[in-house]
Amino acid sequence: MRLEKCWFCSSTIYPGHGIQFVRNDAKIFRFCRSKCHKNFKMKRNPRKVKWTKAYRRLHGKDMTQDSTFEFERKRNRPERYDRNLAEDVLKAIPKIDKIRVSREERHHKNRMKGNKAKLLNEAARELEQGINLVKPPLVLQQDPSLTLPKIKVQVSQQQAEENRPMEE
Amino acid sequence: MAASFASKCSRVGHSLFGGLGNSLSGLVTTSQEIICSKFLSQQQQRSFIQMRTVLKVVDNSGAKKVMCIQPLKGRKGARLGDTIIASVKEAHPNGKVKKGKVVYGVVVRAAMQRGRCDGSEVKFDDNAVVLVDKQGQPIGTRVFGPVPHELRMKKHVKILTLAGHIA
Repeated sequence: MRLEKCWFCSSTIYPGHGIQFVRNDAKIFRFCRSKCHKNFKMKRNPRKVKWTKAYRRLHGKDMTQDSTFEFERKRNRPERYDRNLAEDVLKAIPKIDKIRVSREERHHKNRMKGNKAKLLNEAARELEQGINLVKPPLVLQQDPSLTLPKIKVQVSQQQAEENRPMEE
Repeated sequence: MAASFASKCSRVGHSLFGGLGNSLSGLVTTSQEIICSKFLSQQQQRSFIQMRTVLKVVDNSGAKKVMCIQPLKGRKGARLGDTIIASVKEAHPNGKVKKGKVVYGVVVRAAMQRGRCDGSEVKFDDNAVVLVDKQGQPIGTRVFGPVPHELRMKKHVKILTLAGHIA
C-alpha cells in the first residue's frame, strides 16, 4: 500500500480513492478526486490555480524547504522488514507531523505580521467617516468637534405634501 | 409519452449507460433524462469496446487499425484486458496480417476506467489492442506503449514480457 500525491492539488490519495490516468508516453497522473481530474482535463496549470499546493508553494504562501519534508521523500528501494524499526517509525510519525504543523503555523504568522498596523489604520479612517452610525446626531450637534458641517433643510412643508398623497 | 421518452433515451444512452454503471440509475424523471443525456455526452463518458469500435494496434504484426466485430465475454462489451474478435481495416503493406483478415486481439489500453483491486481506477488515453492467435500468443514480436497489470491476471504474460512500460 502506498499513499500517493495528487498530481493536481498535491493532497494524499488514500487507497480506494481517485483515478489514475496513464498517458501514452507512460506518464502516470494520479488524481485524488474528480475536481482535480476535471481541472486536468481542462488543461489547467496547477501552478496557476489558487487552491493547489503547487500555487501556494510557488507564491510563498506555504513553506517550501524544511527538514521535515525529507521524511516524505519517495524511496523506491523496499526496506527489509524489521519489527523494531517499524515500531520506531510508527512512534515518530505523529511527532514529525506535530513539528511540521507548528513550523507551518510559524511561517503563516510571519507572513501575516504587518497586518495589525494596516487594520488599525483602516479602522480609524472608517470611524472618522461613519461616526453617524455610532453616536446619535443630537450628541454630535452639541459637540461640534465630532461632526462635519451640516446644511439645515425646512422639513414641515415637505411633511404636509407627503401626507396628502398618502391620504388619497 | 413517458414510455417513448424512456425507450428513446435508453437507445441513445446505451453506450453512456454502459460507461456510467450505477451513477445514472438513480435519475428517473423523463424531462431530467433528456437533459442529463445531453449534459453527459458533453462530458465524454467512456464506454465499452463493442461492435464497430475501431482500435489502434500496438504491436508489429502489420496491422494498424482494427475494428471490433465481437467482444468475447461481456454482454455490454469488452474492457481492459479482455479478448475481442476484430477485422483488420488498415495494415502496413508488408506485414504478417493483411487487410480484411479476421483476428483475435487483447485490449491493452482502454479509455474507459477499470477498477483495480485496491479500489482505485485506471484509464488510458486511447483504445489499443495487441493481436493474438486463438491460443492467446501474440502474433507480433514487440509491443509499444504502456500496458496494464491486469494482463497478468488474464494470463497474458507473453504480452507483459514484450511490453516497454507496465502501468
